[in-house]
Amino acid sequence: MSASSGVADVETRRVRVWDGRIDLRVQVRGQGEPLLYLHPAGGLTWDPFLEDLARDHTVYAPEFPGTSAGDANAVHELDDVFDVVLAYEEAVRALGLAGATVVGQSFGGMLAAELASCFPALFGRVVLLDPAGLWVPEHPYGLGDIMAGPPQNIPTLLFHDPSCAGARAMFAPPADPAAALDGAVALVWAIGCTAKFLWPIPDRGLHKRLHRLSAPTLIVWGEQDALVPVAYAHEFQRRIGDARVVLVPQCGHIPQVEQPEATIAAVREFLGS
Amino acid sequence: MRFTYVQQFTYRDFPPDFPQRFPESVVTIPYHELVDPQRVRGAFRNGLDEMLHAARAGFDAVAVTEHGHCTYDMSPNPDLTAAAFAYATESEGIEVGVQVLGRTLGKTREALRVAEEYAVLDQISGGRLLAGFPVGLAYDANFNWGVPPVDTRARYEENYRLVMRAWTEREPFAWNGKYSQHPAVNIWPRPLQDPHPPVALTSIGTPGTTRLALERDLGFYLVSIGGDPMVATKPVFDHFWEVAAELGTDDNPYRAAFSGFVAVADTDAEAERLYARHIEYHFSSGIGHLPLYRLAMPGGIPPEALKQLMANAGPPPEGPPRYRDLVETGAVIAGSAATVRERLEHLARTFRVGNMGLFLQIGSTPHELTKHNIDLFTRDVQPQLRPVFAEYDDRNRWWPVRLGGQPASAKQAAVAGSAAGSAAGSTAAGSTAAGSTAGGGVAR
Repeated sequence: MSASSGVADVETRRVRVWDGRIDLRVQVRGQGEPLLYLHPAGGLTWDPFLEDLARDHTVYAPEFPGTSAGDANAVHELDDVFDVVLAYEEAVRALGLAGATVVGQSFGGMLAAELASCFPALFGRVVLLDPAGLWVPEHPYGLGDIMAGPPQNIPTLLFHDPSCAGARAMFAPPADPAAALDGAVALVWAIGCTAKFLWPIPDRGLHKRLHRLSAPTLIVWGEQDALVPVAYAHEFQRRIGDARVVLVPQCGHIPQVEQPEATIAAVREFLGS
Repeated sequence: MRFTYVQQFTYRDFPPDFPQRFPESVVTIPYHELVDPQRVRGAFRNGLDEMLHAARAGFDAVAVTEHGHCTYDMSPNPDLTAAAFAYATESEGIEVGVQVLGRTLGKTREALRVAEEYAVLDQISGGRLLAGFPVGLAYDANFNWGVPPVDTRARYEENYRLVMRAWTEREPFAWNGKYSQHPAVNIWPRPLQDPHPPVALTSIGTPGTTRLALERDLGFYLVSIGGDPMVATKPVFDHFWEVAAELGTDDNPYRAAFSGFVAVADTDAEAERLYARHIEYHFSSGIGHLPLYRLAMPGGIPPEALKQLMANAGPPPEGPPRYRDLVETGAVIAGSAATVRERLEHLARTFRVGNMGLFLQIGSTPHELTKHNIDLFTRDVQPQLRPVFAEYDDRNRWWPVRLGGQPASAKQAAVAGSAAGSAAGSTAAGSTAAGSTAGGGVAR
């Protein structure tokens, strides 16, 4: 089943997973080799990085259950990361994406790493952009400032330079007040849905499973990430058999938005495209 | 009317620059830097003494509340102070209710422990317990306790069912919940009151909560965080009675309670002289010093309700309110006994509410002044307001039988049948549990 979405060349496909209890909406854009993109905690947005990938890939981007418009309660169908991983694996198979590349950012990176660890043959390649999912006492970090702190602090948590073009585009509210309100509500609820699997400490045991991740993996990290410290690039790398790390200078938690050129270059080199 | 004295265990001795130095009164406040341990001890001794004083002075009940990581109420588990109070009053033979506004069921990770503690309290007090079940504040349930906000409601619902069933089920039963599992629930003791202590839902009055209270015939205890009661509180009770009419329940005013900060003196001017700075302390360094992000976290409020809240959000207040503003708006009811009587009666009749929770120890109010406030209230306010709604006195099923109430409605426990309620996976033991409660009801 498919329907057209608001963006001109984005098609929304719907996949029934989890024994029919979840009507997963997957935005699809572009042409070429299939690529699965897993969005961060704040929900799915098409940024220039994804648009670039869509030039020569068919990008499949599922909306995390609960974050789809009009289907807020879907989040209550998933109790833990195990449920999420199984539901997503069903979706990957239903969409015929087995063997594709998976790219995940932050929460989506954690999800990509979980999927690739639980099902080592599921993906051909794995790209993790500042993923969550590990927490070691040597490098403590918290989500409290972003989940329960003054909202004015959020730009400096996410960006090395909150005045960069990507950050300004991200935080510019739509001119239409009704759209701005809807956007703000959707953002807060999306964080609430994904926080079910992140809060209060974003560690649901991935460190015990990462050794199973056997696909070639690229780990990209903003050197000045103020949310998940850059030290975790190496924490991921040393637990994964075949992983390389690219650190992006002058960059915070969202390299694809703050430093899109460097991020695209690193990902394209890894994908050989 | 019924009158409850509400005690909080407030640290009363912060320096005057506290609100400038710290952005809030909870969660992040450094303990060792700010407190004199003997003054913390004093807050507990004074607080317990004030509770006992209120009981001796004639309050119908004395209540405590639950707040973790909190400077204005150092009460991570109110059952502890309630236990001390229950024994002291039993020992003195004071016929006063022991009201716990609540162990927060959206927060607790040990729901069965809550059932057990309340049962013990009911035994120690000889059947004087009034049991409250709040959901839990975001900063406490979700931040301090780490419960993902999106799970809070479901956790509350499941925990409520477990507590009610643990109290009322006669035979041991297995509990296969999402948040707790027990092979054979058979708590010792069970509550003394039959079928169980009266239960109230403590809430800030969201529409879903008021409806739930009515559907289950629970008491509804409204906690207000401030503001003009005619603006902040009236819509909640208007809605409450509309839903009651819609559901066809009675309109007994004893269903509901509202709370307020009250300060009584010989004259209005004397009240200002005595209490102004202590009340301002509470609003600048205590309950009034809570940023919005401590009261709501992403996931705690569903999108539709969130949209309503965000659309109606006004600008934040400019600076901490002054005593005169607080009194003028009605956020605080202070003045001579006549002034206080008139205001409270007006609110009670406007809201149609038969129970009042009175905060008489406000902010930094010292011990002797608090006792003075209690004495004036119980001498010059309470007796005069007592007859309001007296025609319902013989139909109060939200009050312990020992203290003149009627037994709690069987509806309160009638949802106790399954672990997961209406959600899928309700596999609790496969027993016929729900049928064994007094009303024989099953989940709606």
